[in-house]
Amino acid sequence: MSENRGLIAVVVILLVALVGLVCVGVGALVYCPQPGSVCAGLFGTPSNISQGVAPQTQPTAVQGQNQNQGSSQAPTQSPSGSTNAPAGNVLRLPGGSGLGGDPPTLDPANTSDVESATYIVEIFSGLVSFNKDLKIVPDLAEKWDVSNNGTTYTFTLRKDAKFHDGRPVTAQDVKYSLERAADPKTRSTVSPLYLGDIVGFMDKYTGKANEVSGVKVIDNYTIEIDIDKPISYFLASLAHPTSYVVDKYNVESGEQPWYLKPNGTGPYKLAQWDQGQQIVLEKNADYYGDVKPSVDRIEFVLGGGSAMTRYENGDLDAVRVTIADIDRVSDPSNPLNKELSITPQLSTSFLVFNTRKPPFDDPKVRMAFAMSVDRQKLNDVVFKKMAVVATGILPQAFPGFNPNLQGIPYDPEGAKKLLAESKYASGLPDIVWSTVGGGGTAGSDVQAIAEMLKENLGANISVEQTDWATYLSQINGTNIDFQMFDIGWSADYVDPHNFIGLLFRGGSLNNWSGYDNPDVNKLIDEASVEPNLEKRIQEYQQAEEQILKDAPVLPMYYGRDYWLTKPYVKNVFYPPLVIERLKYITLEK
Amino acid sequence: MLAYIVRRLLWLPVLLILISLLTFALGLYGPGDPVQVMLGLHTNPQIVEQVRKEYGFDKPFPVQYWNYVTNALQGNFGYSLVKYQGQRVSDLIAKRLPITLQLNLVAVLWSVPLGIALGILAALRRKTWLDVFVRAVVILGISLPVIGLMPVLDFALSRKHEIGALGIGPFLPPGGWQGVFAPHIIQPAFILGLGALAVFTRQTRAAMLEVMNADYIRTARAKGLKEWMVITRHAMRNALIPLITIIGFTLAGLFAGSFLVEQFYGIPGAGALAYDALLSKEYYIIMAFTLIAAVVYVIFNLIIDIAYVFVDPRIRYK
Repeated sequence: MSENRGLIAVVVILLVALVGLVCVGVGALVYCPQPGSVCAGLFGTPSNISQGVAPQTQPTAVQGQNQNQGSSQAPTQSPSGSTNAPAGNVLRLPGGSGLGGDPPTLDPANTSDVESATYIVEIFSGLVSFNKDLKIVPDLAEKWDVSNNGTTYTFTLRKDAKFHDGRPVTAQDVKYSLERAADPKTRSTVSPLYLGDIVGFMDKYTGKANEVSGVKVIDNYTIEIDIDKPISYFLASLAHPTSYVVDKYNVESGEQPWYLKPNGTGPYKLAQWDQGQQIVLEKNADYYGDVKPSVDRIEFVLGGGSAMTRYENGDLDAVRVTIADIDRVSDPSNPLNKELSITPQLSTSFLVFNTRKPPFDDPKVRMAFAMSVDRQKLNDVVFKKMAVVATGILPQAFPGFNPNLQGIPYDPEGAKKLLAESKYASGLPDIVWSTVGGGGTAGSDVQAIAEMLKENLGANISVEQTDWATYLSQINGTNIDFQMFDIGWSADYVDPHNFIGLLFRGGSLNNWSGYDNPDVNKLIDEASVEPNLEKRIQEYQQAEEQILKDAPVLPMYYGRDYWLTKPYVKNVFYPPLVIERLKYITLEK
Repeated sequence: MLAYIVRRLLWLPVLLILISLLTFALGLYGPGDPVQVMLGLHTNPQIVEQVRKEYGFDKPFPVQYWNYVTNALQGNFGYSLVKYQGQRVSDLIAKRLPITLQLNLVAVLWSVPLGIALGILAALRRKTWLDVFVRAVVILGISLPVIGLMPVLDFALSRKHEIGALGIGPFLPPGGWQGVFAPHIIQPAFILGLGALAVFTRQTRAAMLEVMNADYIRTARAKGLKEWMVITRHAMRNALIPLITIIGFTLAGLFAGSFLVEQFYGIPGAGALAYDALLSKEYYIIMAFTLIAAVVYVIFNLIIDIAYVFVDPRIRYK
């Protein structure tokens, strides 16, 4: 036994030593990374890990062939050795939406995710786009006319817009791009969602026609688009990357795949893409837009370890704050707090009750469940106040958000009463909650909610985890097997229809809860073709109120984004939709 | 001997056909669908059906499998569907696998020799402070969760600390990949090697202890051989036999990758690629990785078996 005791003692000493070693050993190496010290040559200059900080005027080959490309670039001399601010007009951002990793594609027609869209909206452009305030503004089109019945849009193109290789953009390019998005060979899963309302689009998509009949070239700079019903959000869906203009010669260049060397029209062009390492955008000096890009070179870091560490070391100019750092960053006495910006997202998360399955076929049970979840406490404890407790279905930053809604209250006593009045008063059946996950235990929020429901209602809930791909194929279709599940929805386009209509209209393909209330259906149907904006919003808000009363879902939280930005980066903003934003940014150092 | 090797290698194609059939069937009939992953939360059976048709996923299983095999024999292993849309699987793997291999090789090169040396030392100095120390290292190496160790190291070594007016660090870059000879590799290779270090130390110590008590060691000593001759010629050679098996599998494991470490340190290796592929049901990438793993394991198994002949004179193949 004495031998074992000795062993335990040594293990403890070693653990302490490990921590000590990390501190002391590190202390001994303090002067190593600094230029001029004895051991400086040993590690090079590890602090300068950002690659190619020297502004490159010559675009290097896209798609670096070897991983050593970065080191072949000229290392910069930091003026003092300790600051890592890049020389010249260079901005260093974490990849894409701040999560790192390669974008799945840079092909506009196939843009189905935020990571890809972040680059695509800067490299390419469309007929119209969103400005900073999320209003539709002219882009490649300088103006447009809408016919009286609201189904024919005639766009007049700017004459000064050019692709990055200098070729002018014409109406033929617009037609080519829209038809390409419809081409079954493009294999786009998103184009029908945004452009399916164009006359003839689905005929081409399903291979029944060779052309999209609703897109007509009038002359080199005029194009006409017909849609099959006067939907009010058509321009908003045209602002989505799916309809952005691509260069035919670029697409047909034979490069596998072509988008590795994109020839777009946007304010930035792709200069370099080292997979898993970095994407470099350079400004397009010939950009036609009124706001010209200011920053010469923008480096998106795709890999390379903790983004927060790199931000604090001065190797990144902005970083998305995760829950691990939120306490520290939110503390007003922390200097980082001054660099923090919080922006609401156009997203709401839901707890869905499948109204086709017992016990959720009884609205009283649904409401009892909804009233038994203390979302405020969850947000404070589990999410460290990063989200906002939802009061309705439409997110706060959304047009049509109803500030008068109180939301479903946390009221365990009221919930018990409701349950006693329901047809399951004698006893609830066992409930399975399906959630995305692959770990040994479900997320702490899911566990906490299941515990609350058990405590307040005596509900016996078992949590079943499935992987993302399986989960997606399960919630696909109008008849969902899941009894109860959690899900989040982010806006595709800025219109209440994207939430209320898509998720709650009876028979809609995305109506997860199977909710089907004739009054709500009628309101939604009227609103979707109502030309008067104020009246539309009113109708959607009425529908929203009724949905909350019937509680097919419990709206949980509105999403918020937390970013830190270095003070010398000006005019940066973090929009709730992916829109062009890099051209506004200036550096003041 | 040669006939034995040829016979073993002839089994390889048979094995590959079986494995590819199984993987292909699991991919096609298992839950989840890459087209639905691309579509995300949007539900639209018409789109899914149309795009599946365009990819040829609607064809019967034998047709799809035959197409895959004939393409693969011509060097076309398909393309990425979801995460690296349209890029050739062979390009993706050719770009990423070497990085994973180099990283793991560095990890093995420092940890295995050190582990064997420590194990021998601990066995020879049994029940001394050295033995206790080495065993403590082993316990830590096996039980410390890598996922907890990485942020600690990152905090200590890769962050700039401001203690008063004094700026300390960062000493090592927080991640990234700059090749084998850059300081970027130090942290990930250290973390990756810890497990192997522990395993090899323990196995070597146990094997040595067993051998040192054997009769032939006593005989060797009785013959009057010098102690270092007894250890190197008689003890070590026999103690190494079981280690060869572990070395073989450790080397084969290099290809299986190091997903967690690659993910944390942002290294563009094969681990991240394989993980992405699994989550998004990337049939072709999963296929390629399974086949590569199969070939590697078969070959390393063969190498191990052949190596036995050289270390253990009792083993002969006919």
